[in-house]
Amino acid sequence: MSKQSLLFLVAVLAASPAAAHVFLEGKQASVGASYKAVFAVPHGCAGSPTVKIRVQVPEGVIAVKPMPKAGWTIDVVEGKYAAEYDYHGNKLSSGVKEVAWSGGKLSDKNYDEFIMHTVLTDTLKPNTTLYFPVVQECETGVSRWIEIPAEGAGHSHESKSPAPGVKLLPKP
Amino acid sequence: MRLFAALATLLLVVGFATGASAHAALVAVEPAGGSILKTAPKAVELRFNEAVTPGAIQLIDGASTVRDDVRIDASGETISVVMPPDLPQGTAVVSYRVISQDGHPVAGSVVFSVGTPTATKPPANVDVGLSALIWLARIGLYLGLFVGVGGVFFARWVAWSMAGLTVPRVALAIGIPSAVASVGALGLDLLGLPRASLVTAAPWKVAFATSAGPALLVAVASMLLAMMALRSAWYARIFAMIAFIGVGLSLAMTGHAATAPPEALTRPAIFLHGLGVAFWIGALAPLAALVSKPGTAALPVVNRFSRIAVLAVGLLALTGLGLAIVQLERPSALIETRYGAILSIKLGLAVLLLALAALNRFRLTSALARDEKAAPALRRSILLESAIALGIFALVAGWRFTPPPRTIVPETPLAIHIHSDRAMFQVLVAPGKAGIDDFVLQLMTGEGTPLAAKEVTLTLSLPERGIEPFERGASLGPDRYWHVRKIELPFAGRWHMRIDALVTDFEKITLEDEFEVAAP
Repeated sequence: MSKQSLLFLVAVLAASPAAAHVFLEGKQASVGASYKAVFAVPHGCAGSPTVKIRVQVPEGVIAVKPMPKAGWTIDVVEGKYAAEYDYHGNKLSSGVKEVAWSGGKLSDKNYDEFIMHTVLTDTLKPNTTLYFPVVQECETGVSRWIEIPAEGAGHSHESKSPAPGVKLLPKP
Repeated sequence: MRLFAALATLLLVVGFATGASAHAALVAVEPAGGSILKTAPKAVELRFNEAVTPGAIQLIDGASTVRDDVRIDASGETISVVMPPDLPQGTAVVSYRVISQDGHPVAGSVVFSVGTPTATKPPANVDVGLSALIWLARIGLYLGLFVGVGGVFFARWVAWSMAGLTVPRVALAIGIPSAVASVGALGLDLLGLPRASLVTAAPWKVAFATSAGPALLVAVASMLLAMMALRSAWYARIFAMIAFIGVGLSLAMTGHAATAPPEALTRPAIFLHGLGVAFWIGALAPLAALVSKPGTAALPVVNRFSRIAVLAVGLLALTGLGLAIVQLERPSALIETRYGAILSIKLGLAVLLLALAALNRFRLTSALARDEKAAPALRRSILLESAIALGIFALVAGWRFTPPPRTIVPETPLAIHIHSDRAMFQVLVAPGKAGIDDFVLQLMTGEGTPLAAKEVTLTLSLPERGIEPFERGASLGPDRYWHVRKIELPFAGRWHMRIDALVTDFEKITLEDEFEVAAP
């Protein structure tokens, strides 16, 4: 890539803030239904290639199944939920709390997606945003997409590293 | 003469070997001043920039009670004030008074709170009467050393006559008790004791343990030798010379200036400065008496004095200038600090004194040679010189109460308390003024227990001056607080601070507040 076009790309990325963060592909999801969470990673950490993506599963999100990815190893951290959830007639009190893809190498010049299948229980409040904090680890440096705005307030302009979020819709 | 020079050198070397650093300054306090602590600390540690001797150290607890059950552990530069086990909640004050190497007391207080702050105030312990006594005793000492010893030296080595020595005799009689009073008053000041305690041994012992004690002993010895040199004995001239050298030595052994680094320069400078003053000022009273007498007997003496005085005055100006530069560090301190203000006035008086001396040397002395009628004018001029010299003594004695600008350290830092239901951050900014500042971040949970964090960043901005947020990572110190050192705050004004504490990989606590930064 020539220097000019690289500069152009940087300028475009800077101009569109949504593209500058790790974000969730699907902007809306219904509670009480399954949801395919697609984490879009548009760049590395200040130019350094991404080597690990860690996603924290928020409370009320169950039956998490990460999608395998060629060249990447999946690790999950399981733990107790804060409440018991009904899933196809079973009571679930524990499950995946954190998912990590590691071992791969995603260049800063490339774009990739990390996908997991989830179920959004109906204990989640519709018309709010559900946040999935993400830690992006790179060869040098770490970007933490973990900022969650206070309830009621949207992402402020000053928030530099917002957690990816999805708008919750009422149960269909 | 060569023998005396060798002797003086030897004494000077001894003076160096015993003397150490300079005017002490508090460099660190643990817990930091302004801290709010969950539980009472075991001890308050005061760390100075040099070894100090503890004087009066007092604890006023959160209930405003003066405690007498604190234990003081001193080792070198650190003084540890061990707190009593039953320290109540509220704001406590540790007021300290320590003795620095230059023999001067350094006092201050550390304020911290256990639980919620209360309105405990540091004690105002300025004893005006004692300060006046210290000041007057010092003026008396200068009279004895410069007018007394200097006068005897003039009589024995320049005038070769014992005429007109009434004033030096009186000055010596004032000087010796003044030196003794200086020791006692210093002891009282160091220990924070009432005047009645002078009959006890404690203040004297403490004062003699400082560098001021031996210096005052040398001063007393010099004045006694000068008194003996008043008699017509074979040793009179030798004693006058030793006493004269003792003046410089005594001054070089103690005080702000003598202990300012580099000591290898400042001590000899003080020594020579003292000798110059003693030579010049000491001569004034006998000279005035000489020229009052009819006849031309005064003329050869005046001529002889004038020739050496030019050298002495040059030496005075040179050493004085050098010392002023060392002590002030920057010219603006001349007007901004009390020390500098005293120096400014002193310089003004010194210039006046030099003008009079020049008048005497180049106009009146030659007039005296041609015509006897110049004598009354010369006499008036000398008297005026004496009056100005007295004024300078009074001023210089006032330096005892002002720290030189090179030692002035920031006082209690700016404390900012930020609170949310999740966390409580106590931020200390030292010195809390525009320029280079150090930040200490004390992180606590909403319940006041220590908050463990993986990473802490501090983001500062000054929107009113268009300074965009800049971020600095904090490092965890051995004191379990987070530190950000040497941040440049270019302007005074209402700054914005944001503290991000990473509690877990996925969770961050952010608190923000504004704080006022004063002009430097």
